[in-house]
Amino acid sequence: MNTTTIHHRTSRALALAVAGALAVLGAVSAEAQARIPGVAVTDGATLNFTAGEGEISTPDGGSIHFWGYQDIDNHEGLGAPGVGLPQYPGPTLIMSQGDTVTISLTSSLHSNQCTSMVFPGHQVTASGGSAGLLTQETCPGDAAPVSYTFTASEPGTYMYYSGTDPDLQIEMGLLGAIIVRPSMGESYAYNHADTAFDHEVMFLLTSMDPVIHQLVEQHRFAEVDLTQRWPVYWFINGRAAPDDLANAFVGWLPHQPYNCTPRMSPGQSLLVRILGGDRNQHPLHLHGNHYYEVARYGRLLSSDGIAPDLRRGKFTTLSVPGQTVDAIFTWTGEKLGWDIYGSTLDGMPAHSCQDIVDNVTGAAGADGYADLDADYPWEYCADHDKKFPVTLPEKQNLAFGGWWSGSPYMGTGGALPPGEGGLNPNSGYFFMWHSHAEKELTNFDIFPGGMLSMMVVEPPGTVID
Amino acid sequence: VEYALQLGGFDPDFHDASWTVQPLPFANMWDRYPMINGRGYPDTINPAALAAPAENGGVQSQVESSLITATQGDRVLLRLSNLNITVAHTLISPSIPMQVVGIDAKQLRSTSSENLYYTTNSVSLSGGMSADVILDTASVAPGEYYLYAANLQYLANFDEDQPTGGMMTKIVVSP
Repeated sequence: MNTTTIHHRTSRALALAVAGALAVLGAVSAEAQARIPGVAVTDGATLNFTAGEGEISTPDGGSIHFWGYQDIDNHEGLGAPGVGLPQYPGPTLIMSQGDTVTISLTSSLHSNQCTSMVFPGHQVTASGGSAGLLTQETCPGDAAPVSYTFTASEPGTYMYYSGTDPDLQIEMGLLGAIIVRPSMGESYAYNHADTAFDHEVMFLLTSMDPVIHQLVEQHRFAEVDLTQRWPVYWFINGRAAPDDLANAFVGWLPHQPYNCTPRMSPGQSLLVRILGGDRNQHPLHLHGNHYYEVARYGRLLSSDGIAPDLRRGKFTTLSVPGQTVDAIFTWTGEKLGWDIYGSTLDGMPAHSCQDIVDNVTGAAGADGYADLDADYPWEYCADHDKKFPVTLPEKQNLAFGGWWSGSPYMGTGGALPPGEGGLNPNSGYFFMWHSHAEKELTNFDIFPGGMLSMMVVEPPGTVID
Repeated sequence: VEYALQLGGFDPDFHDASWTVQPLPFANMWDRYPMINGRGYPDTINPAALAAPAENGGVQSQVESSLITATQGDRVLLRLSNLNITVAHTLISPSIPMQVVGIDAKQLRSTSSENLYYTTNSVSLSGGMSADVILDTASVAPGEYYLYAANLQYLANFDEDQPTGGMMTKIVVSP
């Protein structure tokens, strides 16, 4: 058997499988929702962190010395029990609005570096340690840790990072994300129905200049010149492409637990949390459709503070240092001019585009999209049964990639040469989401890589978590 | 009247490496030929297509002028897009205010259709962004005005010691 076998399904078989899956999934599909991995913080919890050192991997076979926050209690199961590992980025803190957390921090940096944490957007009480420029600091060998306590009073996307020599320490990796879920519930970005989402993904954008990291590793601090910083590696959630497309928490990236694999099905909403984590601007360019920016810096784009009425349709978000942006993306294939689920004019089995209910309000009446219990929910009915308008070349005239299923129709495979197509088991559609500063799509001169991910629109009924 | 202005830039070393089949220097990419519609000033204000360089086999590749002409009273729509793959650009129009009516191909409106247009002298665009701006010349005296990159190092065609070049074009308002 080779990988082409799984693509020799007929669309009828798939349609039946999808219909069956939907019938079965009906009750549970609401739970099959992707969420950003991280440390779930309970109200009043104390997290014990230290700043440690390690090596991250880059996809070109390199490794870079880094400093990272390390969750000593190891909530995420990195490394040895009860020890944890320094990680890049630091643990993503998942909080609920109104909850209070205390982070107790020590410094395990070999080079006798003091460090600290700041939490922009939050009112922090810092105690212990010694007074630093921005906050209380902790130094290697201190008798007691420094602690930071704050209440996550407002929902949104935030960052934390070092407040000690931040120009160097953030470059070295001392930063992380905070997600505060609104009191309305974890399927909302903010306390408004227009911020509801099905799936969620994080784009924490950073870069590194390995020269700096090598000098720090060798304790040659006097030679570090941050004015000459010239990054050549670019990361999403601490991994450079294509490593960001691997699973989260894979053993071969022990210090880089987080991935970036945005996935959704047609009609679903995908919340994209964009965080500018380094000192450069990155124009994050999301292919496939416009999306709505609903919030910046953890605050709704709103004229009344309640509804995101000032949300803005965009196809590029210029992520700037220290800023977070929350955006909601959706996709149905609307107005492509052909039926993404197949056409009888192309010899495909017929399916219906039943549209008697408004999918959003639930009221009777057509809304232009197939109903949620139709063969293909959210199918754009105006294009129903329209044929793909291109006659595909013969296979000997095609080059293949791992993401091409062999058919232009969603959920349908076609015959492929042996070994091709194995990266798209559900026959979804792939869209590149990337920095439009395309020199950043490299790993030290090697293209492709860097600040690049692939968003997959999976056929209706695909379990995404 | 309307004009499309596409911002971009070339790093000559990268192009030479490609031409001579050498490893491509992504990491060192540094655009030193900032351009509008594929030309640097003063070619931007040449209303005609540029002649084909000898190496180009007679093919004219730089056919788009960026010269903006209007009669006083015209509302000039500029369709701005940045195709750059290294840096963000800021265009300034110091004499004629720009009314931003759309960003990323979406009209600036709130969800309750409130008008969110704004008037400015500078528009910043990263690569992959677009903006639609309107210059209202009703109260602009006939004459010549300039639209250019606010980062003045981009007003050069490779050599910054030479007279002004790069990312600049002219707006001619006639009576």
